[in-house]
Amino acid sequence: MVDNAVGKRLLSLLCIFGGVALVVAALILDVSRSNAPYRGAFLVIGIVGILVGLFIFPTLKYHRALMNFVFLFPLLFAFLVTVIIPLILGIRYSFTNWDGIRFTKEVGLENYTKMFQQPSFIWSILLTFLFVVVNMIMVNLVAFLLALLCTSKLKGLGFFRASYFLPNLIGGIVLGYIWQFIFANVVTNITTALFDNRYSMLSETGTAFIAIIVVYIWQYAGYIMLIYITGLNTVPGEILEASSIDGANPMQTLFQIKIPMIAPTITICTFLTLTSAFKQFDVNLALTNGTGSVADFMGSYLTNGTEMLALNIYNTAVIKDNYALGEAKAVLFFIILACVSILQVYISNKKEVEL
Amino acid sequence: MKKRILALMMAGVMVLGLTACGGAATGTADSGAAADSGAAADSGAAADSGAAADSGAADSGSSGGAVRLLNGKPEIDNQLQDLAKKYKEETGKDVSVETIGGDTSAGDELKKMYQADNMPDIFVIEANQADTWDGMLADLSGEAWTNDTDYELVHDTMGTIGFPYTVEATALAYNADVLEKAGVDPASLTSPSAWKTAVETLDSKKADLGLTAVFGWCAEPANLGWSSGTHVFGQYLDAGLKLDDKTYIDLLNDGGKIDEGRMKKFAEFIGMMNQYSDPELLVDGTYDNQVKGFAEGKYAFVTQGNWINGTVTSNENYSGFKMGFAPYGFDDGFDTIIAGPPSYWTVYSNGKVDDAKAFLQWVSEDSAQNILVNDAGLISPFSDCTYAAADPFYDSIKSYMDAGKTSGWHTMLKKDGLQNVTCQVFADYAQGKMDADGFVSTMAQVCSSYYAE
Repeated sequence: MVDNAVGKRLLSLLCIFGGVALVVAALILDVSRSNAPYRGAFLVIGIVGILVGLFIFPTLKYHRALMNFVFLFPLLFAFLVTVIIPLILGIRYSFTNWDGIRFTKEVGLENYTKMFQQPSFIWSILLTFLFVVVNMIMVNLVAFLLALLCTSKLKGLGFFRASYFLPNLIGGIVLGYIWQFIFANVVTNITTALFDNRYSMLSETGTAFIAIIVVYIWQYAGYIMLIYITGLNTVPGEILEASSIDGANPMQTLFQIKIPMIAPTITICTFLTLTSAFKQFDVNLALTNGTGSVADFMGSYLTNGTEMLALNIYNTAVIKDNYALGEAKAVLFFIILACVSILQVYISNKKEVEL
Repeated sequence: MKKRILALMMAGVMVLGLTACGGAATGTADSGAAADSGAAADSGAAADSGAAADSGAADSGSSGGAVRLLNGKPEIDNQLQDLAKKYKEETGKDVSVETIGGDTSAGDELKKMYQADNMPDIFVIEANQADTWDGMLADLSGEAWTNDTDYELVHDTMGTIGFPYTVEATALAYNADVLEKAGVDPASLTSPSAWKTAVETLDSKKADLGLTAVFGWCAEPANLGWSSGTHVFGQYLDAGLKLDDKTYIDLLNDGGKIDEGRMKKFAEFIGMMNQYSDPELLVDGTYDNQVKGFAEGKYAFVTQGNWINGTVTSNENYSGFKMGFAPYGFDDGFDTIIAGPPSYWTVYSNGKVDDAKAFLQWVSEDSAQNILVNDAGLISPFSDCTYAAADPFYDSIKSYMDAGKTSGWHTMLKKDGLQNVTCQVFADYAQGKMDADGFVSTMAQVCSSYYAE
């Protein structure tokens, strides 16, 4: 028994130290720019060795902690590789003149000061905030009304629910092109008749912005509607029954019973629409590609009238071939979204306590 | 005990899964490091990525020694595959062709390939991308094919770097049958006054000629910005100039300056196009409708290049009319069209340079030109090529080439992305938001502020 434990301990230590040695060797090979083909295998075998060693390590006291680590490792590793490392590299590149291939010098905060001197970028930020506010209100309003409709006693509810949700299943790019066609060929008939304007809504900055909002609501309201339906269905039947016995009319039931009862759902939906509107990219790209002119903004003529933040970042980096500046903008974007998310978590937690 | 074994097996499966993603992950981490030190240790990076490119080629399933070619024209992918087969047949060497196109630009994809140490040996670039790859492209000067063409890409520090694989032309494509019926001689369209008379004649006979409008000109910016912002804008830069005259592109690249006098004349010409264009197409049309309208004989002129030939001739309502190019005669005596290679094949200096050079030399020779010209429908940039392209624009282009009346594609040398701002000015002008003077001053402002960014 004793021998067994000692043997096991030895084996596990061997695995761990062997694994660590292999990982270190792989990293040294990588950093020293060796072209040995086996460095990847070293790293993987090393990690496997460490995990096996930890798994068979004979201990009772730390067993749980070790198992947690072993089983969390795949997730943590994937998160590290796909999120954390790119984030750190991205922040680092934002201080250089990186062009997507290499960088030749550190430029300090130049990219950060430069982006705030671009009227087009300021415009994109303001436009995005406007878009977020309008959408947060409109999507929730429309979705809530649809949800009320879809929890009433109409006939063919399943059909309506499915059809309102359907736009959400179509990808944003496809949606953008479909609507582009509609705006250029169908809506023009209406605008010609009403306003004597035969050009597509998309050709004028103001109307193009409205067009993006319309498409976005059409795409997203069905999804938010589903969440509201779930919320409305959780309102206990006995409360509704009691209120009806007390003589509450449908309006009173709605405003004084249903809406207060689904307050947490409203919080969730508000934040869902907030963050997704901030990240708006695909519909923007496919529908207008950010075009639209602004005659005079901060003293210059802008050509990116409908270009929102995410698209501005993409265009800066990929189209204008200025990857470092794009990175700096992306860092700002990250900070804004992080603030929103932290606020969301904070408020949601508080609400839950109240309930 | 059984449970133990089961647990171990589960862990084993998990670990296997991990190795799979771990393998990919090492690649990512590695390329990050490569980019980090790339600037500091160029030579180190060179050795490393060379070796990695080898293994990359082996990974992607092609045989070890194949020269990899990255093509940016999806429409000729099949013909390039045939080309590779033919090369294998004649020389016994392998070439593998990878195609990127459609909405993914080859330039972006190449950056990803570079970061992943997976560079092809021959890849496509546009002229203004050469600086991005400074120091990484092989010098091809002294190759035999350079004596047979005027169209190779020469870079200040890297030498001859670009192999021209096709010549494309852009100007105002015309429907020869319509012009003939209206009694307009396209060869006379070399001045604003001649254009004005011709356009007015055509416009007055629209009903007889079956025209919807004189011009099929579309200034829609979101999807056709490349047409107005790059090609039509390119006429301001090059129309009427000699092939190697870089006056206006040099002026533009010097902080985004424009020549206001020339721009004013250009603006007036565009104003005429706006006036006589199909209003259904002008502001919010699409490429498809533009080319379709031309193919169906609804427009006498269309603002595209010879790349529309396939779409035109395959249209079911195409009557078989002849076509050609007329110059943008916005000043007296402007009698040139823009012709040249819109993009080039370059050789990666850390790849298989010698094999790549041998392949390019072979491409410039007879059996390869046969495939490129007769099957792919390209126009050969090589003077010793004996094949006449099937392109319906070929006769017209060839006559300009033979007369030395071609101007350069210098619009490809402007700063990346400039077309996205200039196309908006064309769109506003088309909508009537500004007059010719407004067009000039706005153009001056957007160019200088774009270069200042």
